[in-house]
Amino acid sequence: MDHKALALEMRSLREQVTGITDTAVAAADGLLIAADTADSIDPEGLAALAAAGLGLARRTAQATARGTLRRTVTYGSHGCAAFYAVGDTALMVVLGDEGMDVDDLHRVTQPTLRRIDSILTEKAAEGV
Amino acid sequence: MSGYELLAPALAECGRERFTGELRIAGSPGGTVHFRDGLVVAVESPGAPGPEALLLRSGRVSGEQWTELVRESGGSRWPATGLVAHGYAGAAQLRVVCVMALHDAAFAIAAGRADDCERAPVAELFAQVAVGESPTRLLREAARRLAALAALPRPVHPDRERPVPANGGAAGPHGALRGELLAHADGRRTSRDLAFRTGRGVYTATVEVARMLAEGVLECPAEPLPIPVLHTPPDGQGVHPRTPERPAEPLLPPSPPIPAALPRRKPGGFFRLRNGIPK
Repeated sequence: MDHKALALEMRSLREQVTGITDTAVAAADGLLIAADTADSIDPEGLAALAAAGLGLARRTAQATARGTLRRTVTYGSHGCAAFYAVGDTALMVVLGDEGMDVDDLHRVTQPTLRRIDSILTEKAAEGV
Repeated sequence: MSGYELLAPALAECGRERFTGELRIAGSPGGTVHFRDGLVVAVESPGAPGPEALLLRSGRVSGEQWTELVRESGGSRWPATGLVAHGYAGAAQLRVVCVMALHDAAFAIAAGRADDCERAPVAELFAQVAVGESPTRLLREAARRLAALAALPRPVHPDRERPVPANGGAAGPHGALRGELLAHADGRRTSRDLAFRTGRGVYTATVEVARMLAEGVLECPAEPLPIPVLHTPPDGQGVHPRTPERPAEPLLPPSPPIPAALPRRKPGGFFRLRNGIPK
C-alpha cells in the first residue's frame, strides 16, 4: 500500500472542500488505517463508530427497500460527520464544520473514494 | 479570477436591474447572495460563519434551544422572532449580528477564487436583514477590508495559512480573542477554520492571525503536519475481503422442527375441571 499516496488524497480532499476539519480511512471492520484528525478526536473510536454506523445504515436501507447505500451523514449543530464505503473492504470518514457544503463534499468525494480504493487494494490485486 | 473581480460587476448589475432571487457564485469558497428588489438581504458562504453559527458557537444559544426554536417557527431557517421572544438576543443585537455576518460572507467570497456565477429565481426568498444592503456599499466595504488586510505587515489569506503557536505558545498574556486563537491554532486550521471554531467573523480572525504572525506569537510551519498511517493491514499488502478459515458454524443450536399445525385441544380438560362435570 502506498502510504504517501493515501496521505496525499486525504490532504487534498481537505484542501478542496472548504469546511472539512478531519478525515480518516479505516478497514470495513473498523480498524483504523490512517487519520488526519485534530487532537480532540479519538480516531480509533471514530473508525469503529463509522464501521458500526455504515453497517447499521446498510441494513436499514436493505430492510426498508431503499436500494444500495450511498453514504450516511450525521448532522449536528456544529457540523456534520459523513461516512462513505470505500469499495467492499474499507470506509472513509469526513468531518466538517457548519460551513461545509455537503452537496459539494459528495461531488468531490466520488473520485477520491475511487482512488483511495485502488490505493488500498492495489497490492492485493497484483496477488503479491 | 479573484472573487472580487467577478463579484463586483455581477452585484452591480443585480442592483441596477432590481433583481429578486439568488446569485450563486461557484468557486472557493464561493457562496450565494440573496437579493430583494436589487438590495442584498442575505449572503451565505462556506468561507464565513453565518448568524446561526455565530450564535451557537459563541454559546449564546445551545444546540437544543436552536432545535426547539426551529420547530416552534415551523421549520424556518432563521427563527429571528423566537430568538427575541425567548430573550436569547435583543432585536437590535440580532440585527447587528446579521449585518456583520452579511458583510463577512461578502468579504470571504471576494477574498477567494470565483469561477462562475449564475442567477436563479427562488420560490421563497431567504432574508436575514429586514432592510437590504445596497450592492455598492457591500462591495465598497469588501474592497476596504481586502485593502486593509493586504496593508498589514504580514498579510494572510483566510483560507491558506495554517499557523501554530510560536515558542510553544508561551507568549505573554493575551486578550480573549488571541487566547482563543492560540488555543485552537494547531497547524491544521486556517483563519477561516479558526473563525468557525471560535464563533468570530472571518475578517476579524484573519486580521488577528496576521497581526499575531507579524508579532511572532504565531508561526507557519514550513511543512504541513504529516498524516500518520497508523495501521497497515496484517499482510502489508492492502485491504481485501476476509476469507473464513473454516466454514462458519451456526451460532445457535438447531431449533426443534416447527409443527405444521397447532396442537389440537383435547375436549373436556379445562372445561371439566372448572364446571365440575363428571367424566
